[in-house]
Amino acid sequence: MADDVRALSAQLAQDPQSLVFLRLAEALRRKGQLDAALRVALNGLERHPHLADAHDLYARVLTDKHDYERAFDEWDMALRIAPNHTGALKGLAFLYFKVGDLQQAETHLELAQRVEPDDPSITQAIEMVRGGASPPSPHPVLAAEPSEAAAAAPALDESRVFAGLEGAQEGLVLLDAAGRVLGGALRSPAGADVTDAVAAYLAGVSQEAARSAKLLGLGAWSGLSAEGKHGNVHVSQPSKDALLLVVRDRGVPLGRLAILAQRATGMAKRWLDKQ
Amino acid sequence: MNHTLDLVTRVRGVRGAMIVSADDGLVVAEQLMEGIQGSAVAALEAGLAGRLRRAMEAAGIGASVFWHLQADQGTLLVVPAASGMLVVAVAEPDVNIGLVRLELLRAGEAIA
Amino acid sequence: MTARAVESWTLQPLTDFVREASVRLVLLMTPAGQVLAQSGFSRAVDVMSAAALGAAIVASTGELAKQLRQPPFAALNHQGHRHGIFLSTFPMSHGTIVVLAVYDLDVSSLGLVQLFYEQLAADLKAASPKGSVPKQVLAADFERELSESLNTLFGR
Repeated sequence: MADDVRALSAQLAQDPQSLVFLRLAEALRRKGQLDAALRVALNGLERHPHLADAHDLYARVLTDKHDYERAFDEWDMALRIAPNHTGALKGLAFLYFKVGDLQQAETHLELAQRVEPDDPSITQAIEMVRGGASPPSPHPVLAAEPSEAAAAAPALDESRVFAGLEGAQEGLVLLDAAGRVLGGALRSPAGADVTDAVAAYLAGVSQEAARSAKLLGLGAWSGLSAEGKHGNVHVSQPSKDALLLVVRDRGVPLGRLAILAQRATGMAKRWLDKQ
Repeated sequence: MNHTLDLVTRVRGVRGAMIVSADDGLVVAEQLMEGIQGSAVAALEAGLAGRLRRAMEAAGIGASVFWHLQADQGTLLVVPAASGMLVVAVAEPDVNIGLVRLELLRAGEAIA
Repeated sequence: MTARAVESWTLQPLTDFVREASVRLVLLMTPAGQVLAQSGFSRAVDVMSAAALGAAIVASTGELAKQLRQPPFAALNHQGHRHGIFLSTFPMSHGTIVVLAVYDLDVSSLGLVQLFYEQLAADLKAASPKGSVPKQVLAADFERELSESLNTLFGR
């Protein structure tokens, strides 16, 4: 596969206007080299802004990077250009399922099935959605060959970020600024794993909180607490590039949640420093 | 609505209170001290409320009843009302949060 | 999406506005429908249609305000089911600029668009080249200029 990437890169360098960027970015994405895939996809999209396949490719890379909001925009754009684009239909179905909108997920898969009735993966995904299980990611990333960057960074021991802290595996999540999960996990009251979906939305919340505090002259934001109908939430920033989310049921008042979040913030800071 | 906001602004440490249309991010009513840009507060907090609502729904903990943004030089406290409005207070960092929360909830019920 | 500008001084203010207000589509144009910059459009025909329609709305509502003996409307907003459309004008030293913005109701709001529109107007006024004389475009040159503008706006 490394030879493929080299050959495709050489072709693209010879003719930057060609559509070979689609195959190159997909090859890089499947190798797990997401930053490189993103650069190639963006350069190609700049040159071919009206190509639905380019938007579809960019959306797939964004999905792998857990940037679901932007992935949604890109698949939406692909459909506006090519309303029968099955890649975009399957991609949106996957995202709708991630946020629990089963009806929309099923609708998009059915539309895709009308375009490609012989695609067994679509039939399988529809059955899974109807059965309540998560459909597979539309374009799963294969096991990545070790890249130079991956070899240089130490392996992250995610499970031990909050070791010993109450609720470490179901109510504490550490994210980076792009919404990617660094440690912990989150389950809904119904028991479903909602870590990735919440992480994706939370990156947007923290950006908006930072912007609000700055533009209103309140200085740097330090925390956001919220009471929901079925639970309470606290968001803080253990470091400039990380976010911590603590979720508890309504029985844990906001004041106590803030203290718990302080302890978790301390643990997260120490873990991040080690990395 | 001004009487409703009086309940909030009389709490020591509160620099202003407003009622905001959550969908549009526009000011419905306000009582603000000098130096607070009401339209900016309204637009930004409505945007933050929307994003927070989606995150909380994804987490399965339901709609927000009260939320509170803490910053170095001030704090924002918000209660969504049933009528699609937000009741917002802008306050000093050391304000009595419990008291402001109580008055915001009362104000939210009054405009529901 | 990338912003593209025929008048390069509009690019940074436009990019900032798109980012801060989270709008999906923006056109900056003259009241005659001549596009200065755009963001978010993927097809030339959409730009042309939007510019023509936006300019027509500005002209007709301006006339309506005149009939009512009112000053021109400051801004127009149309709220649809999923999107909002915001249309406004502001004066510059060498003419009026029309701003047409389309925003997703899930992502942005009228309040946010209005808030950052004011900043956009201020930034455009500050960035505008001073002392330039507006070009007189002959009918014969118009089609060529339009074609060149569209090529620039779509990075061709």
